Amino acid sequence: MEEVKVGVFLSDCGGQIAKILDFEALTKFVKDVSGVVLVARGSEFWRGQGLQAIVDAVKSKKINRVVVAETIPKISEVAIAKAVEEAGLNPHLMEVVDLKNHCAWPHIDTPEEATEKAKAMLLAAIEKAKLLEPIGKAEFPAVKAVLVIGGGAAGMQAAEDLAEMGFKVYLVEKEPFLGGLAAKAVRFFPTDDCAICIQSPASLTTVTQTSRKCVYRSGLSEIPNLNVLTNTKIVKVEGSPGNFKVTVERKPRYVDEKKCVACDLCTSVCPVEVPDEYNAKLSKRKAIYVNKLLVYPPAYVIDAKACKFHECAKCFQVCPTKAVNLDQKPEHVTLNVGGIIVATGFREYDPSVIKEYHYGEYPDVITHLELARMLDAFGPTSGVPVKPSDGKPAKRIVFVQCVGSRDRRWNPYCSSICCMISLKHATMIKEAFPDADVTICYIDIRTTGREHEYYYERAREMGVKFVKGRPSEIIHDPATNTLVVEVEDELLRRLLELEADLVVLATAMVPSEDAKELAQILDIELDQDGFFKEYNAKLRPTETKRRGIFICGGAVFPKDVPTASLHAHSAAVKAAKFLMNGKIVKDLKVAVVNQDYCGNCQFCPVTCPYGAIILEPKGDGHFTAKVSELLCEGCGVCVGTCPVGAIELSHLKSSQISAQIKALLSVNGTSKPLVLVFSCSECGHAAVDSSGMAMMSYPANVRVLRVPCTGVIQVQHILEAFKAGAQGVMVVGCKPDGCHYEVGSQKAKQRVEMAKMLLQAYGIEPERLEMLNLVFIEGDKFAEAAKTMSEKVEKLGPLQLS
Amino acid sequence: MTGYALFLGCTIPARQPHYELAARKALTKLGIELVDMEGATCCAPPPIQSIDLETSLALAAYNICLAEEADLNILTLCTGCFESLTIANRILKGKRELREKINKILSNVGKEFKGTKEVRHYLQVLMDDVGVNRLKQNVVKPLNGLKVAAFPGCHLLRPSELLRLDDPERPRIFDMLIETVGAKSIPYKNKLRCCGGLLRGYADDVALAIARDKIANAYNAGADCISTLCPFCFLTLDLGQMLIKTAYKEEYNMPIIHYAELLSLSLGVAPKELALDFHKMKVDKVLEKIG
Amino acid sequence: MTEEKPLDFAREITGRLGGETITRCYQCGTCASACPVTKTTERYNPRQVIRLALLGQRNDVLKGDAIWLCASCYNCQERCPQKVEVADVIYALRNMAIRGGNIPAIYTEFAAALMNEGRLAPMSKFLEKKRAEYGLPPLKPANTEALKKILAATGFDKIMFRKEGAT
Repeated sequence: MEEVKVGVFLSDCGGQIAKILDFEALTKFVKDVSGVVLVARGSEFWRGQGLQAIVDAVKSKKINRVVVAETIPKISEVAIAKAVEEAGLNPHLMEVVDLKNHCAWPHIDTPEEATEKAKAMLLAAIEKAKLLEPIGKAEFPAVKAVLVIGGGAAGMQAAEDLAEMGFKVYLVEKEPFLGGLAAKAVRFFPTDDCAICIQSPASLTTVTQTSRKCVYRSGLSEIPNLNVLTNTKIVKVEGSPGNFKVTVERKPRYVDEKKCVACDLCTSVCPVEVPDEYNAKLSKRKAIYVNKLLVYPPAYVIDAKACKFHECAKCFQVCPTKAVNLDQKPEHVTLNVGGIIVATGFREYDPSVIKEYHYGEYPDVITHLELARMLDAFGPTSGVPVKPSDGKPAKRIVFVQCVGSRDRRWNPYCSSICCMISLKHATMIKEAFPDADVTICYIDIRTTGREHEYYYERAREMGVKFVKGRPSEIIHDPATNTLVVEVEDELLRRLLELEADLVVLATAMVPSEDAKELAQILDIELDQDGFFKEYNAKLRPTETKRRGIFICGGAVFPKDVPTASLHAHSAAVKAAKFLMNGKIVKDLKVAVVNQDYCGNCQFCPVTCPYGAIILEPKGDGHFTAKVSELLCEGCGVCVGTCPVGAIELSHLKSSQISAQIKALLSVNGTSKPLVLVFSCSECGHAAVDSSGMAMMSYPANVRVLRVPCTGVIQVQHILEAFKAGAQGVMVVGCKPDGCHYEVGSQKAKQRVEMAKMLLQAYGIEPERLEMLNLVFIEGDKFAEAAKTMSEKVEKLGPLQLS
Repeated sequence: MTGYALFLGCTIPARQPHYELAARKALTKLGIELVDMEGATCCAPPPIQSIDLETSLALAAYNICLAEEADLNILTLCTGCFESLTIANRILKGKRELREKINKILSNVGKEFKGTKEVRHYLQVLMDDVGVNRLKQNVVKPLNGLKVAAFPGCHLLRPSELLRLDDPERPRIFDMLIETVGAKSIPYKNKLRCCGGLLRGYADDVALAIARDKIANAYNAGADCISTLCPFCFLTLDLGQMLIKTAYKEEYNMPIIHYAELLSLSLGVAPKELALDFHKMKVDKVLEKIG
Repeated sequence: MTEEKPLDFAREITGRLGGETITRCYQCGTCASACPVTKTTERYNPRQVIRLALLGQRNDVLKGDAIWLCASCYNCQERCPQKVEVADVIYALRNMAIRGGNIPAIYTEFAAALMNEGRLAPMSKFLEKKRAEYGLPPLKPANTEALKKILAATGFDKIMFRKEGAT
């Protein structure tokens, strides 16, 4: 093996920390460490001349391990690694240590002690560096094709974005036509424009790029690379991120989309009439039908439940283009895509479970979607709100907000858009029928979006009445065929009995029926309310736990169309970013299994938050773990879990942890007992950083060892620290529900508890060990805890190890 | 033959023997064995719950313990008793900490709530043990389409999460049993609304106004009688009509009849065998109608 | 009068049997509009009782008349979208009021009947005779010994019920 030559670069941060740390002494100390061939001092080493100095040293002095004392390693090491690589060395053969925020600043009052601690920190970095090994890169295929599931507002938007960026797109919709829920909404808020214009036909040359464009006239089919598959559902997903094989089932349409000219002859001869679900069953349609004029795809479909097929066959006979095919069979198609976007939207909750409102029992109690169909000029009642019981126009209309939402009995969350839907519908009615008596019963009016409050204002101006109070019951008076809404007007403290021709329930918006099944097929998570769960609400709102699978629109939570659009664009960008190079290039900072030790246990495959580990048969009836290099995120939760130490991280081996433990505890320089801190690289380390940045002081006998995630820590590591001379051990990780690797922080907690029990069994006070869950802004808590631990172990006296 | 510990409660034996008499006759005829409980106390209904909920739970638990020791499920006639005992039974079965607390209290009298028994209202016994079909076979004197305003009462149904006897918004059991004995359960306004009975003694005027509403609604719907399951509802609506006469100068003469009485009559018990003179509102018209 | 933070009173209520759910209330008024008593008299509105309680108006709630006007019909509790156990909250408030000395006369009578005979409706000579006439078995007496011990264990017997005639 090549001889190890370590170059150490000491940044004094422009001289700032040289006032505290004795750099002469440090230089002298480092020079004497075996393997160190070069020590350089500078004012910064992560850019400019400093960085160039490292490059030069690697090139000219043949240095093959680089140790840099530089501030905020998480940031500086990126630039240093890049420079090292350019100099011809593997970028992982370097180690960065923060002498400023982890040493000089927090120990500003005890400069001598700080210098001694700095020696220990540098020694630990050097000892680790000496054990570092090159880490290679791997390439995985990324098929430049995306499957978008759901052809509503969000799905169409995302599909169009990606197709125009040059990706092959499959837009799959379970219904026979595109449009989803949004297409039924008549008009959108806050612009009041037609709900059908939710898609732009960029390739239609007759329309300018800046105009708003309509889905039904958009020529979606004209966008190259965009394949629309309606009447289709997802059956199976195989493969891996970047290279999924998706099996879909195309239900028969019984009409050839390419041949159909939408001439309408078929409907005129079709003898079967059924309630039209698109129009909330307020009208009837034929067994062969389109939702409305100008739908996409512009082709009829046969309702298999209603059609008499060959018994009748009138449509087949009359079709001038021979588009009708009554013998079509379901068809399975396999799609090869690199990424998947879930945009399955939401639906209205069925309010019949709320029995006091009698939905489904009193015909004149309806939902918003039903009202929307009435308010559509092309809808079943030509834009007039009517009483379904007798078809007469409704003059007195009462809206009831929060029906089945904000209700612990049904759906505890606020569905977020229903206030605006009620305001939109109330103003539409008032505009067309100024004499209509419209009342909205509400708990809170929530108009949080841009221009939303103006809607509320306009509604008041137009004479819509607002009653603050949630109705307890809707009663039907059979004598007058009138509904009575019982509600307390809280502001007047008066009980009202509002007479109404029509009561409109602003029902909760809930996940689509097939969300659960789809989540299982895709192996992604749902949240407590059944919506698709994002990876991180703050920073990765359209990504999921599974790489290559993205979510957007109402599938994530009920949204208005403007917000769903934004969300869809975000998901499209994320998918594009993931696939744009046609390949996924990745550093192999991954878990590596030692096949000789591994055997049969299920721990790591179950624990891995990314499903990156599977069990493979060894051939002798036994199984060993196999890590997917593509899926592994390198957190090390598996390492901490493995009972036999058969897995380690390529970028942090057990030997490297041991070497750092020993080095950090080899120099004390204070009169106090040593405390070792294991901190994760994410929130934990950030908290330590921030305590230093703010010069919050804690004693210099506290030493920090950085690991990728606290999940990597084994009980063994903790015991090793005590054996190596630590009198106290702290583990600092992210918040249990904010762990960057999902479960690492929780697993660490379990191991700390286990270690405490072991310590007790060995006769060691368990309070010498402690776990903290901190974030960046909690540096003060870290400093306080470090101080407390130091004082505690001092009080407990020297550790008695048998 | 199914046996039950009969929990009579306070009001029925001491104020409304006509209910007890009718219930004993009917249930015995239908093969239900009733074992009178030794030493049972008040079930601790709302008036006692209002004073101290913990005492109420302890008393209810004490009475349930008596049934547990006799290895019998409890049968109640009074809806109030049904509610207090069922709530206590279900809460204490479900909440360990509370159970331990109550058992500590009960340890003073050598009892322990084990949670091995059920509390059942006699309507449930009719539905589940006897069954609608067998009940129908036993009806010898169908009630001739008598128009009954069924009033199940609050504490038969609510709080439904604990009582779980019937759908609180669309109950059907009581109506079904009324139809089974040959009467007709008629719809009327605010059928499930409270009778106001529990306000008697504190706010008599309010209680009376609520009761009057109930009686008027049944009257306006053309009911021959209101049928009750709870002695408090009975008292409020029966005696209440005399008070309404004084306070509002209104006379409804609406007979209030416990379902157990209707049941007995349908099973062939002669009117004179029932203590019908305990009704303030005379039931002659009802007897006439059913012949 | 001692200064009290609004939440102190609410915490005291949530710490009591029956009162646990009061802080869930978001004042939607479903309880009020479902209440048969509120429909009849302005003296009672469950939403307002809860609001006063959550605002820490201890005296208004515990010394006032409203809490005694709940008919315990549970319609509010059944329909409350936040699963506030409204009727049980009222019980908890009554329990607190009584411990604080606000005891309506009728409840003194209930307590006396319970403590003396173990029953709220004592048996009369007339009824005993009537029962025998109808062939009903004699009513078995309540175990008042056990009852007294239970009432002692819960502290029920220590509540200062007003003597008859006292105000």
